[in-house]
Amino acid sequence: MTASFLIRRIGYGLLLMLGVVVLNFLLIRLAPGDPAVVIAGEMGGATEEMLESIREEYGLNKPLVVQLGIYVGNVLTGNLGDSFFFNQPVATLIAQRILPTILLVVTAQVLSIAIGVFLGVIAARKPNGVMSAFVSVFATIGYAVPVFWTGIMLIILFASVLPIFPVEGMQSVKLRDAGVFVQILDILHHLILPAFTLAIIYLAQYARLSRASMLEVLGSDYIRTAKAKGASQRSILFKHALRNAALPILTVAGLQFGNLISGALLVETVFNWPGMGRLAFDSILRRDYPTIMGVLFFASAMVVIANILTDMSYRLADPRLRGKG
Amino acid sequence: MTHLLQIEDLRVTFNTRYGEVTALDGISMQVSEGETLGVVGESGCGKSITALSVMGLIPSPPGRIAGGAIRLNGEDLTKASEARMRELRGAEMAMIFQEPMTSLNPVFTVGDQIAEAIMLHQNVSRDQAFRDAIALLDRVGIPSPDARARDYPHQLSGGMRQRVMIAMAVSCRPKVLIADEPTTALDVTVQAQIFDLLNEIQRDFGSAIILITHDMGAISEMADRVAVMYAGRVIEEARADDVLDFPQHPYARGLISCIPALGKGEMAETLAEIPGVVPPLHLLGSGCAFADRCSHRQGRCDSEQPRLIAHGHHPAACHAVEEGRI
Repeated sequence: MTASFLIRRIGYGLLLMLGVVVLNFLLIRLAPGDPAVVIAGEMGGATEEMLESIREEYGLNKPLVVQLGIYVGNVLTGNLGDSFFFNQPVATLIAQRILPTILLVVTAQVLSIAIGVFLGVIAARKPNGVMSAFVSVFATIGYAVPVFWTGIMLIILFASVLPIFPVEGMQSVKLRDAGVFVQILDILHHLILPAFTLAIIYLAQYARLSRASMLEVLGSDYIRTAKAKGASQRSILFKHALRNAALPILTVAGLQFGNLISGALLVETVFNWPGMGRLAFDSILRRDYPTIMGVLFFASAMVVIANILTDMSYRLADPRLRGKG
Repeated sequence: MTHLLQIEDLRVTFNTRYGEVTALDGISMQVSEGETLGVVGESGCGKSITALSVMGLIPSPPGRIAGGAIRLNGEDLTKASEARMRELRGAEMAMIFQEPMTSLNPVFTVGDQIAEAIMLHQNVSRDQAFRDAIALLDRVGIPSPDARARDYPHQLSGGMRQRVMIAMAVSCRPKVLIADEPTTALDVTVQAQIFDLLNEIQRDFGSAIILITHDMGAISEMADRVAVMYAGRVIEEARADDVLDFPQHPYARGLISCIPALGKGEMAETLAEIPGVVPPLHLLGSGCAFADRCSHRQGRCDSEQPRLIAHGHHPAACHAVEEGRI
C-alpha cells in the first residue's frame, strides 16, 4: 500500500465532501416550506415584521448563491451554524450524539459481517445440505422484513416474554454513578438489541453473498491444488477459500455502510437510542435546516471514511491490487 | 511382481441428467518406482478422471468409485478414509495440474504455498519450511529463489508458475507424481524445459510419474510405458516404443499418424486426422466405442465390446486386430 495512493484517496474524499455540502444545501433549500414560518411557529405565532426580522437574523433573505457561499465558508472553518430549534450550535448537538451512533453502526456492521460470513461459509460446505437451505430461507426473510418491524418484535419479546435485555435507551439511570467498567457493561447490555436489529437485514445479505462467493471459489483450480496437498477441510474453507471469497464481501460491506447509517435512524428511533438518528428525525420534522445539514454532513463523512477503509482493506486482501493506482 | 501403484478394473460413475454415466469402465494400469507411465487419449476419454481417482479427488457427488481397486504399495486407496487420504495426498502422491495460471492461490506468496505443503506432512517449523521452499524453488530452476518466494503468483510467468507447482508437488518427495497435461498451457520452448525438469526430478527422487497428455511427442520423450485410453477404457497398453513403432488399435494408429513429421521434405502431405469426435458417454452402445470413427468396422464391432488382450505384438482391445484384419 503506497502512501501516494492514500493521499490521493483522501484528496478525493475531501472533494467528495465539498460536493456533498453543496448538494445538501441546495436540496434542502429546494424543498417547499419557509423556515422562518417554522421558527416563528416555535416562538408562538408570527407577524410579517417578525418573519422579516427572523429572515434577517438567519440570513434567509440573501440570494441563494450568497447563502451557499456563506454556508460553505462556515463549514470550512468548522462552523455548522446554530440549530433553529435547539438554540445550540449544530456541532455541539452532533458531538453529543455521534459516538452512540458510531458505536451502534460499527457494532452492527461487525456483527452482520462476522455472523453472516460464518453462516455463508458453513452453508457453502454442503450446498445441498440442511444448513444451506436454512441460510437461504433465513436470508430471504431477513432481507424482506423491515427493520422497524424486527425492532418492535424484539422489543415485545424482550420486554415482556424474556426480559433479559433492556429495550430502551443506552444507559440505566440507576448506574449513572457506578464505576467505568460497570457503565461500559451496561452500555453493551443496552447495545445488544438495537445492534442486532440493525445487523439482521445485512447479516442475511452477507450470508447469501458469502455462500455464493464461497461456492464459486471452492470450484476453482487452486482449491483443487490445496486438496491435492492434503490440506484439511477447515484450512481449505477458512484459509484458502475465504481469503479469496472475501473480496466481493468487502466491496459490499463498503457500499452497505451508507445504508447502515440510514437504517440506524429507524433503529435509534425504535429503541430510543441517543444518537444522530434521533436528531435527524427530530430536525427533519421541525425543518431545522442547519441541523439536518449538519447530520447529513457527518453521515456522509462516515460513509466516505468507510469507503477509504474499504479500499485499503481491499488492497490488503488482494495482492494483485497493490502497487496499482 | 507387485507394482508401486496398481489400478485394477477401476469403475467410476457420475450421476448426470442423462442418468448414471460410466466415466471409467474397468480400467487397469500400473506403474513402478522410477518408471514413467504415459496416459494418452483425446479430451473426454477419462485421463484426468483416472488421475483424480488416484488422488481421491473425484467430486463426490456426483462422482463415485463404483468398483475395482487402486493399490499404492498394496494399500487399497478406494477403501481408505478421508483422513488417511489427506495424509497420503501431497506426501506419498502428488499432482501437477494443467492450468498453472489458475492452480496457485492468488492471495498467498508462492513460498508460503510451498511451505504449507511441507508443514502439512513434515514436523518442521514455519521458518524451516520456508527455507526448504526456497531451496525447492532453486532446485526447479527459478532464478533468485529468495526473492521469488516472496512473490505472489500473478507476478510470475506461466512457465515459472508451473515450476512452482512442480516444486510444491515434489516438496515431500512423493512416490507417485501425477502430471496432468503439465505443458499444455505453456510455450513450446518452455514445454521442453518442464519435461527436462520432470526427468531430473525423477532421477533424483526416484518417483514414479504418471504423465497424462495428448501429445505423442511428449510420450516418445518421457514415457517408459503407455496406456492409450478411449471413452473411459484402456484400449492399448505396452512399452512406449512398441506403441509408437507398432500401434495396433486403429485409434492408436490414428493418434500416431497425427504427429506432424518434421524434416520429411516439403509440407506436401496434409496433416492426418481422426474423423469424428469421442462419443458422449451416455450414448455408448454395447459395441466398440470407436466403431463409428473406424475404417475397419465390421459385424461384431457394433454388438460386442472388444477386450484388452494380446494378439501377437502387445495388448489391444480391437476385433479387427484380434481377427488379423489389420
